[in-house]
Amino acid sequence: MSTRQDFTKNGTSMNGATSLVKSLEAAGVDVMFGIPGGAILPAYDPIFDSSIRHILVRHEQGAGHAATGYAQVSGRAGVCIATSGPGATNLVTPLADAAMDSVPLVAITGQVPSAAIGTDAFQEADIRGITMPFTKHNYLITDPAEIPRAIAEAFHIATTGRPGPVLVDIAKDALQKETVFNWPTSVSLKGYQPAVAPNAQSIADAAALITQSHRPVFYVGGGIIKANAAKELREIAELLGAPVVTTLMALGTFPHSHPLHMGMPGMHGSVAAVTALQKSDLLITLGARFDDRVTGKLSTFAVNAKVIHCDVDPAEIGKNRFADVPVIGDLKHTLIALIPALKAALAKNRPDLSTWLRQVNNLKSTYPLGYDKPTDGSVSPQYVIERIAKLSAPDSIYVAGVGQHQMWAAQFVPYEKPRTWLNSGGLGTMGYSVPAAMGAKVAAPDTTVWSIDGDGCFQMTNQELVTCALNNIPIKVAIINNESLGMVRQWQTLFYEGRYSNTNLESKRVPDFPKLADAMGCVGLSCDRPEDVDKTIEKALSINDQPVVVDFRVHRDAMVWPMVAAGTSNDDIMIAREMAPDWDSQEL
Amino acid sequence: MSKHTLEVLVENSPGVLARVAGLFSRRAYNIDALKVGPTENPTISKMEIDVNVEGHALEQVISQLDKLINVISIKEILPTNVKPAPTDTQPDYQN
Repeated sequence: MSTRQDFTKNGTSMNGATSLVKSLEAAGVDVMFGIPGGAILPAYDPIFDSSIRHILVRHEQGAGHAATGYAQVSGRAGVCIATSGPGATNLVTPLADAAMDSVPLVAITGQVPSAAIGTDAFQEADIRGITMPFTKHNYLITDPAEIPRAIAEAFHIATTGRPGPVLVDIAKDALQKETVFNWPTSVSLKGYQPAVAPNAQSIADAAALITQSHRPVFYVGGGIIKANAAKELREIAELLGAPVVTTLMALGTFPHSHPLHMGMPGMHGSVAAVTALQKSDLLITLGARFDDRVTGKLSTFAVNAKVIHCDVDPAEIGKNRFADVPVIGDLKHTLIALIPALKAALAKNRPDLSTWLRQVNNLKSTYPLGYDKPTDGSVSPQYVIERIAKLSAPDSIYVAGVGQHQMWAAQFVPYEKPRTWLNSGGLGTMGYSVPAAMGAKVAAPDTTVWSIDGDGCFQMTNQELVTCALNNIPIKVAIINNESLGMVRQWQTLFYEGRYSNTNLESKRVPDFPKLADAMGCVGLSCDRPEDVDKTIEKALSINDQPVVVDFRVHRDAMVWPMVAAGTSNDDIMIAREMAPDWDSQEL
Repeated sequence: MSKHTLEVLVENSPGVLARVAGLFSRRAYNIDALKVGPTENPTISKMEIDVNVEGHALEQVISQLDKLINVISIKEILPTNVKPAPTDTQPDYQN
């Protein structure tokens, strides 16, 4: 646990609120996102004097996603703070989002005074009860003496093992009462001992199984980012020389440009990545969880493959797919142990993977990601995203909302490094992008941060651009404006006979996005001709003292391909409408 | 389906019963019977949970219970049925 205990001596008398702020300082917090209100108000008085930068957001949901964006880029816990009742319930979505994507988050909420709890008092909500299903743990504190320990435990739980959100709800009277500050030197929890080092036997079993495989694939998930194990991943992938697929949550953990990289698997994955998994005889699963968006119809997923499942969370083993060799532990430790074991095993018996590699590489070259240019001269959304990636600095960070634009941002930006791609993968939270990009920019102020957003998503949380404008957080927002809830519309096109029930947002008429941007203290730009795309992006890239919002008015009917329709098998992947890959020409 | 009894030691803290009950509810596990009582240690309570689950699902129940921070230990007592072999996958569904 990172601590700055030099700040305040244990044994000092103060009120609970000051003890809370001293605890956050001791936990190493440098920034938090929040909004004050009645029950949390005592805490805002010492926050006024604290070394912690408090960013006053416009909606608590923005505070939660901003803390997530900060955590995803920095690798440290993100912190958000809100008052009781509606302030706390507005954090529900970001907490659920952080739980699904294993983001280390600490949320502090005020609660009504302890004597009022249970009386339906003004702004009372049982936020501990509400958030039980999607926090890693949560607390209700009514005794000020418990505040430092609860905060220390919250950071410990949020950042170790499989990371996740922790909520600390503190009754107003506990913030007001006098107490003695006592920051614990260590945290020990009887019921929480996350695995670190993997079992030696399972490492040996994994190495042995790999040498028996002729069609192995590295199935890589977001766990590699949490474990900071991208270097080790590259080492083991090159050692074996097997293809690598990186899920939506893992883009950037393995360089896009690497010859072994087959791309992203899943519902909108590349043919090479989806098929590599399907035809594999061994899935070397690293921090991935066999999500339904990756497996398609589970009973038909990679039916001939054995599974090595490496994960820090034992409950992921066998949850969706039986694991022949489970390896439980921190992924960095796991790979550091597995690399020499595999090296030794390969020295004795190196399987010939050349046929397998030829097959998957053939798929990769035959079915690259692509798109059709609109015939009516309008802007294609994929082209916009492709050009943004081309013209922006190579270390730029991209933060997507949820929907078609998210999938295109996953497909058409070549991610080379971890922590350069942020999105809401598990919960699929529309509105994630703008506030998460704000948090990302706070964590990496010298890096270009692009929010790639949809016109639907943008209208859910764009008020945080006011926060960005006022707090010198100059993010860039590319609205991929197809005036629709585009992904829902795509499903209506494909599965509901083109009956577009309630997906027409008319966002090319209202709102006027550049004017809205201007009103919020940002620079607003607009682009509706393919020939203007580059110069508009260059203009946006040239402005670094203000947030920029670009309204890219794009073709409405563009669809995301390839696609494995929900509930169908990965074998039924379509590369365009009613068009399957030409399997007969493949030797698989 | 087969019946199993789990003996779960938990920290005697507010909300712990809700955490365990909520876990069973949200993961769609069935509780046949539940008994909660004190132990010699006043900070620790003991739960006895009768569950009715299919094959490998018991391991999932145990693993998920173990993730609750207030759960200290879990052991299976008096299995009334022999555990069937693990099945490969969950049932299919469309999402």
